[in-house]
Amino acid sequence: MGEILKLENINYSYIDGGFERQILKDLSYTFEDHKFYTILGPSGSGKTTLLSIIAGLDNPKSGKIYFEGEDITKMGLGKYRRNKISIVFQQYNLINYLTAIENVLVAMSETDNKLPKNHKEVAYALLEKFGIVKTKADRLVNQLSGGEQQRVAIARSLASNVNLIFADEPTGNLDTATEKEIVGVFKELAHDFGKTVIVVTHSDSVSALSDQRLLLKDGVLQDIK
Amino acid sequence: MNFFQRAIKNVTRKLSKSVLLLLTFFVIGNFVIVGLGVSQASENAKVLTRQKMRAVVTYEVDYDAVNDYVNSLTDEDEINEFYSEGYPQIRLTDVDSLLQDERVKTANALVTSQYYSSEDLDYVHLNNSGEENYGGQSCYIDENGNEVCTEYVMPTLFVKGNYYPDMIEFAEGSYQVVDGRFYTREEIDEAADVVLISQALADQNNLRVGDVITVYNNDPQSVGENGYYNIYGLTIEDITSDLEIIGIYTHNDPVTPDDENYDWLAPYENPDNMLLLPATTYMKQNLTLSQKIFEYSAQQFPDDPYYSDPDNYPTLEAVSYVNNVTLLLNDPLEVDNFVAEYGSELPQFMKISANNEEFERLSRPLDTLSLYANFIVWLVVINAVVIITLVTALTLKTREYEIGVLLSIGASKFKIILQFFVELALVAIIGFTLSIASGSLVANQVGSTVLDYQIDSSGLNEDDDNDYYYESIWDTDYTTDISLDDLVSEYNVSISPLIILEIYIVGLGIVLVSILIPSLMIMRFNPKRILMNQN
Repeated sequence: MGEILKLENINYSYIDGGFERQILKDLSYTFEDHKFYTILGPSGSGKTTLLSIIAGLDNPKSGKIYFEGEDITKMGLGKYRRNKISIVFQQYNLINYLTAIENVLVAMSETDNKLPKNHKEVAYALLEKFGIVKTKADRLVNQLSGGEQQRVAIARSLASNVNLIFADEPTGNLDTATEKEIVGVFKELAHDFGKTVIVVTHSDSVSALSDQRLLLKDGVLQDIK
Repeated sequence: MNFFQRAIKNVTRKLSKSVLLLLTFFVIGNFVIVGLGVSQASENAKVLTRQKMRAVVTYEVDYDAVNDYVNSLTDEDEINEFYSEGYPQIRLTDVDSLLQDERVKTANALVTSQYYSSEDLDYVHLNNSGEENYGGQSCYIDENGNEVCTEYVMPTLFVKGNYYPDMIEFAEGSYQVVDGRFYTREEIDEAADVVLISQALADQNNLRVGDVITVYNNDPQSVGENGYYNIYGLTIEDITSDLEIIGIYTHNDPVTPDDENYDWLAPYENPDNMLLLPATTYMKQNLTLSQKIFEYSAQQFPDDPYYSDPDNYPTLEAVSYVNNVTLLLNDPLEVDNFVAEYGSELPQFMKISANNEEFERLSRPLDTLSLYANFIVWLVVINAVVIITLVTALTLKTREYEIGVLLSIGASKFKIILQFFVELALVAIIGFTLSIASGSLVANQVGSTVLDYQIDSSGLNEDDDNDYYYESIWDTDYTTDISLDDLVSEYNVSISPLIILEIYIVGLGIVLVSILIPSLMIMRFNPKRILMNQN
């Protein structure tokens, strides 16, 4: 196993009611590839902030983030998001006037990564892999159930052929059965597809299935044995 | 699924929003088409009417400028000195530079006068009252109380002399040389005794090119016994000219018994009785008269310093003058530019003018119409920008999540703006295309109604009805008389390809400007804030 993402002395704070609130304090951590990570922590501990920083949606006050050894700020955050990572959200964040297949195709059209030429077939295959058959793939996403929408979101995250997948409370809106199913998918992605999956969650049941459980506390990440 | 495909999906799947925007653009399109159509029709009517008018520019003494100058002089000596140098006159050498301009087709610098036909030349008769009552006796009581009467005859011929070897009438085709030729520059410079006569006059007298006609430049009775020129020692030879016919012309300007003033026309007012000769030839004939009168006066008043000064003896140059020079340009639409270009370079007290005051007066309703139409276009465009910007900005707020999603998968802000632009542009193009058909119908109706109203309120109709204009043979004004009907008949709203192009340009302009503010909103979006808010 090799390192895929390295966080080096990450600090993040914001002004709240006239006081500076330190969220991340000299946080350093190295994520390895092909593993399924979960990040736990109490509310307000900065899990989502950490995710937004490592997903290139925000900048830390200080510190460096290296993706496969390359500083992501030098690479460009837009390019980093487009070609290196993908994100799955609690609310799925699909584009509602597009069908499931079209949502997947959007990600394929934006990335600079080399993809098979037959985008549409690949997208259908991806969706089918996550239980979305063709008839459902051609439906507008708001005609699908929450679990189906999350599967579409996961399929979209894989469509751009990236190795690092972030998920922010991906099962927060799902029932237990579906949650189990989705977590199973993440595990499969890490173990069978060679992806690294980093999931922020409150759920102990989700974290119990991960390869590595991390706790964000007092601004730093700790391994949970 | 690139930005363009996403835009099409958005337009087709968010139908209610698209239809509302489409209706907005359709209404805007109609207003813009009406405005542009009416405005262009007004401009076209003016251009078409202008093209029908003669492309003439007049070069003449600026009498207003002379009066202003004289009025500005306070010293009596200065005023006397000014007048002693003679009233400003046109120098043809000054006009030469204008004639060199390739836009000038030809020019008329005319002298006109009446002539008398000799016994060998019978003028073309009109057989009207004017002719029957022509001539008679002129009587006065002498110092001895005796009544002295002399016979007089009235002129029968008209002379038009040009300083240039062509005439506007021939250049335009209203006169045509049917045999022979026009006089040349050399013949003008030499004041050659050559003439062009009308086909009718030639037929009447069985004349051909090469024949010589004899005419008098004054009443033959005036040099006879008791004639008023007799005392100067003038003889019949002094007023006789033998002119060689070098050309025979026809014209499109006949007088007919149907003419309102036909009954009172004098023979010389019949264009068939017009002789065309070099202006210098006419001046040379006039010179003899001036010289004889000078000689007689010098004899009668030997102490008068004026007549003692040989410099005052009449010369051809001294008696030669023109009242105005009319330049005919190739293109009526060049007239204003030409006047503007040369207007500031003229010698003192000279002016050139397009003589289009009447055209401009009659064009006023069209100008007003055009002004209103342009005003409507601007008003609609500004309103459209505000409305569309507002609609787009509001729509964008509801699509914040989509922007966040696209940013999170790495789509550039530029591509996101481009998608919104394409969405709006697609709807705008459809809306404007639909408006072309309906707008042209509305434009015609609106344009005609407003033009009628403008004409009625301007009172130009009444002026027109009362106008009576008689074109005299003396007239050397070549400007075309136009009527309000001429202008209105050219007014026709049609949606030209140019307007259609303008519609699309205006439409895309509105879309571009309308997308600016929403674009700035997108630019300030922070992907983390949007996405985290959504979650």
